[in-house]
Amino acid sequence: MLKAKLFQISPNPLQLNIECMPGELHALVGPSGSGKTTALRTIAGLSNAETGKIECDGKLWFEARDINGITTSLSPAERSCGFLFQQYALFPHLTALENVCIPLYNSMHDLAQRKILAGQWLDRMGIGELANRMPSQLSGGQQQRVALARALARSPKILLLDEPFSAIDAPTRQGLYKTLADLRKDLNIPILLVTHDLREADLLADRITVIDKGVGLQTAPPQVLFERPRNSRVAELVGISNKFEGVFTAGKLSWNGCQRIFNVVDKGKIPPNTPVAWVIPADGISLHENSSSTSIEAHVEQISALGQIAVIQLRTVEGKHAITWEASAAEVRRLSLEAGKNTSVEIDGDKIHIMPLRPINDPRRFTN
Amino acid sequence: MRYPYDICRYNQFMDLEALLLSLKLAIWTLVLILPFGIWVAHSLQGMGKNRSWIEASLALPLVLPPTVLGYYLLVGLGGRSIFGIPLVFSFTGILIASLIVNLPFAIQPIQRAFEAINPEIREAAQVSGLSKWQTFRLIELPLAWRGITSAAVLTFAHTLGEFGVILMVGGAIPGETKTVSISIYDKVQSFDTSGAGVLSLILLGTSLIAITLSYGVFGVDSSKAKKWRG
Repeated sequence: MLKAKLFQISPNPLQLNIECMPGELHALVGPSGSGKTTALRTIAGLSNAETGKIECDGKLWFEARDINGITTSLSPAERSCGFLFQQYALFPHLTALENVCIPLYNSMHDLAQRKILAGQWLDRMGIGELANRMPSQLSGGQQQRVALARALARSPKILLLDEPFSAIDAPTRQGLYKTLADLRKDLNIPILLVTHDLREADLLADRITVIDKGVGLQTAPPQVLFERPRNSRVAELVGISNKFEGVFTAGKLSWNGCQRIFNVVDKGKIPPNTPVAWVIPADGISLHENSSSTSIEAHVEQISALGQIAVIQLRTVEGKHAITWEASAAEVRRLSLEAGKNTSVEIDGDKIHIMPLRPINDPRRFTN
Repeated sequence: MRYPYDICRYNQFMDLEALLLSLKLAIWTLVLILPFGIWVAHSLQGMGKNRSWIEASLALPLVLPPTVLGYYLLVGLGGRSIFGIPLVFSFTGILIASLIVNLPFAIQPIQRAFEAINPEIREAAQVSGLSKWQTFRLIELPLAWRGITSAAVLTFAHTLGEFGVILMVGGAIPGETKTVSISIYDKVQSFDTSGAGVLSLILLGTSLIAITLSYGVFGVDSSKAKKWRG
């Protein structure tokens, strides 16, 4: 199991708590420059945090406190990490087989044995026949497979993947996803994946940590993260488009600029008359041809057809709030939706998720 | 009638002696300066603020007039010298001068070669479990191979042709400090243009072969060269 608690102010701020179980794939997601790679490099020992503690498989890799400074810091070579670099970082003067032999250099003195084991890893990655090729003679996907074989060759305690699929075309990426999924089952070690692609994280990860400006904002399984973001910044980062503001009082949520009041679950954590942000997942919104006592009238501003899917931009008549709704082309036809016409929008109060306006560690989170 | 024949034999002997002395000087310079150049160039990678000062000092022989450098070496190596014994007008003296003059030629190509290595390659070696020495030996050195051969060729060719500093420090003692360049100068001064021409042709050929080797045989891209099997 990996436990990492990292804190630093410069050069890149970092305030992160990560736990990753053996066999778990934990994704670190955030925008460019959010500190994802810094966190990964710190765990690998390629850079050190100012304070914090890193433990893996019961062994202390790094510890630094405010007063004593760094008391323990194992070198990258001593940490037993498999690290997959974004641009592969294969040794350009060595063949694919020799690249995979390198991590075995200190553990196996017999060159023939090293070559046999390295060959087995390349076979496992499905590129055994390319063993004698130089990296420059391999495609991006093949290079990434060699890099993965190299990262795993010395049986690491943890696998760290730094945006490994970003430089690869989509069909090759699908193949690598499958390889990674197969490896996960067999390896039973913690796997940390850094990515800025939410779909990729959603597809592969058991849990996701959202990072922004070096701060870990929320750690949760993908489904929870998309349905119940901890705050509006998380909602923004995970791409929730239907995010609004309102005022919450004892189970009642009033939407700013609208008469409509929703009944939502009150967990007793939010003081009365608190300005809040709220989100509604796609399945909490439905459109109807005829209005009802609970529906909201909205104007269809734009319908963008994307193959079988249409993205409909709506604006509420009252309050002028923008709502984005996705539907199939057939659904659009059934509802007779047309740009410039009005329609009725139903919002399911049970699916509304209320959040503070500011991050959880901000004392002003319930104020404007 | 025997006199011109003796002169001719004498001159021929002297030419060969100067040529061999130049070769000896170039080989010794190469043997001593290359390991030092590799060490300095590699050490400069991790240096911070002081790096530019050190780099400037090491590049000084490139811009300093040979007579100025020769003068300081003459003063430094003369008398008791910093080594306790006078070293001017001796082979050791011109070897030390040659080492100093060749510092930029030996260090800069190797330094550029080390700088050209992607930092992620070094990090990949570290996370693969290699120690610093192993990373240097198995990864960095083969990747800097082209820079090292360039440095070797430049140093070798430059030592063969070095004139000003060698003359200042060593004079022109036959068999001890009179290198082929000084011999050419002497021959021109004594109107022996054919002798000077032969020596110049030899230097030209040697330099051409060295440069061709640098661009051809040794200049093979290290990512395609097969040097080590791990």
